[in-house]
Amino acid sequence: MTQEAAPKLPILQLVGVRKTFNDFVAVEKIDLDVIEGEFLTIVGPSGSGKTTLLRMLAGMDQPSEGNITLHGERINEVPPNKRPTCLVFQSLALFPHKSVGDNIEFPLKVRGVDAKTRKARALELMRVVRLPESYHSKNVMKCSGGERQRVALARALAYDPEVLFFDEPLSAIDYKLKKVLEKELKDLHKETGKTFIYITHSLEEAMVMSDRIGVMRAGRLVQVGTPEQIYNHPVDRFVSEFVGEVNVIEVKKGEEGAPWRGIDVPGAFHVRPPEEDAEADHAFVVIRPEYLRFLGAGDTAQNSLKGMVYNEYSLGSRIQYQVRVGEKVMLVELSRSKALPIAADRSVTVGWDAADAITVRA
Amino acid sequence: MEQEKARTRLFIWLWTAFVVVLLYLPIACGALASLSKGRYFAFPIRAFTSEWWEKTLDSIEIGMIVQTSLLVAALVTVISVVVAFFGALAFARYDWKGRRLFQKIVILPIFFPQPVLGLALLLWFSAVGIQTSWLTAVFAHLVWIVPVVTLVIAIQVYSFDPSLEEAAFDLGATRWQVMREVTLPILWPGIWSGALFAFLLSWGNFPLSLYTAGADSTVPKWLYSKMVAGYTPMVPALGTMSTLGAASALLLGGLVLWLLRRRAAA
Ligand SMILES: Nc1ncnc2c1ncn2[C@@H]1O[C@H](COP(=O)(O)OP(=O)(O)OP(=O)(O)O)[C@@H](O)[C@H]1O
Ligand SMILES: [Mg+2]
Repeated sequence: MTQEAAPKLPILQLVGVRKTFNDFVAVEKIDLDVIEGEFLTIVGPSGSGKTTLLRMLAGMDQPSEGNITLHGERINEVPPNKRPTCLVFQSLALFPHKSVGDNIEFPLKVRGVDAKTRKARALELMRVVRLPESYHSKNVMKCSGGERQRVALARALAYDPEVLFFDEPLSAIDYKLKKVLEKELKDLHKETGKTFIYITHSLEEAMVMSDRIGVMRAGRLVQVGTPEQIYNHPVDRFVSEFVGEVNVIEVKKGEEGAPWRGIDVPGAFHVRPPEEDAEADHAFVVIRPEYLRFLGAGDTAQNSLKGMVYNEYSLGSRIQYQVRVGEKVMLVELSRSKALPIAADRSVTVGWDAADAITVRA
Repeated sequence: MEQEKARTRLFIWLWTAFVVVLLYLPIACGALASLSKGRYFAFPIRAFTSEWWEKTLDSIEIGMIVQTSLLVAALVTVISVVVAFFGALAFARYDWKGRRLFQKIVILPIFFPQPVLGLALLLWFSAVGIQTSWLTAVFAHLVWIVPVVTLVIAIQVYSFDPSLEEAAFDLGATRWQVMREVTLPILWPGIWSGALFAFLLSWGNFPLSLYTAGADSTVPKWLYSKMVAGYTPMVPALGTMSTLGAASALLLGGLVLWLLRRRAAA
């Protein structure tokens, strides 16, 4: 990792931010520093409070407790039209009665910018988001999904916010176009140097684009870190499972110096103590499918389990095996070139080293 | 198969013709009666004349009645659209505590029998000591028409995505700019339909005007009173004119709506 040239200051700070609807806690005690110019992605399952958090940052909702500061000034009650922030809605919220150009020019129009300057700026922004100039007078409702996406982006940029929020703007777009737009968004982030806060369900999306990722669960921000930290050092089982398919084995610490004991899979295992809590005596061992391997005659690994292959899927260049180990199903992913022929009785030995597994506190 | 289809088509044609005749023949009869040379209301008509139409157009009394009717309808339209617009937002958009109750209370007057509503209002006016006139008729019309217009506009509001207003606000617009740039233009077709409803319902309303207009007369009220006593073919003449007027208002309104929709789709 390269060091930043200059230390960047937090642009937005959240301290103990909480939001309740009647008795229901939607967002619970969030502390977060958003660094100026970063691309921060918030991921989490449906209902985990991502939109609620974003609406508070944009000024559409107010925290029930805690403080939000922008450049050190408290902005809890500042309305959205007085904040240098802009939210791109999941629905995009394009004005259906206005043309592409009028949509983009809207923030300039309400600010009293004259028509000529507005149009020039709109055309400039349309170039930035790669919309053809001829679209200026086109009805937005006649634009395709990807084009609308670009209109919404250009409109937000026309407001010239310091921070841009995105609430799952790509969720309704097909996979291929999504990849293109993700890349464009990332490029745009670089070009503009603005702070982006992006919400998504999909960690894959987050991994591609973000400088940092925050994982939310049931209103709490469970972990914030670089994609590498989230992937390789998840703080708990939830984060590790959110990152992708994983094998999880519950373990208890054995006698001093002895290996750990498996709880849901019988056996003794070499386990690194959890990073978060080295003293823990109850933990989950998380092994990604690509870190498991089949042990042939003469192969060794620190840990091994005997099982039975009962299914295999092709994932293109990789093959995924489902292996039944006792009551449990383990996933093993091998690249096609390394795949071994499975014995006639389909029995296999699955192995891994302690260093390939992550241990998280239970 | 083909034969069956042809039979179905024939049946549909016959049915449509039947409904059209049923609906429009009486109006046509009224028009014919107004062209009768004879003084009394009787068929078949032996001789035709435009005399009664001319008399109707020349009559000062009728001119005043039409003016009153227009004035009442215009006032009712303006007031009901303004009231119903905000009512419809409260009805369909904002979530607040008494909303469900409000929705029921607003709808209820539509189902009151109008003569009962008129009588109740008349009793109430006299109890409070208000002299009935075309102004009280305006009030009475509003009691019945505001709910209808609220419903008409609310339908448009339901299909309005509230995040559009939030987005506008987020992009720097003031509350007033949000209203002018986003809310009103998008709700415009609904508002226009509501206005059309208000005008036509007020223009044609008889039972409420009968009870609450006092000494002032409106077109339907005059038609009724002349039917009861003092019939001349001026009655069907004015009735036909009134219908034609309503029809042209409807056509004009429809044209504006069509233009609004087309502009939205352009
Ligand atoms: N205005 C509200 N009134 C009551 N409850 C609300 C309100 N807004 C959100 N909630 C609740 O707060 C919780 C978090 O909602 P939120 O929309 O923030 O989730 P989310 O993480 O954005 O989910 P999704 O991924 O489905 O968009 C949900 O359980 C939701 O029902
Ligand atoms: Mg959401």
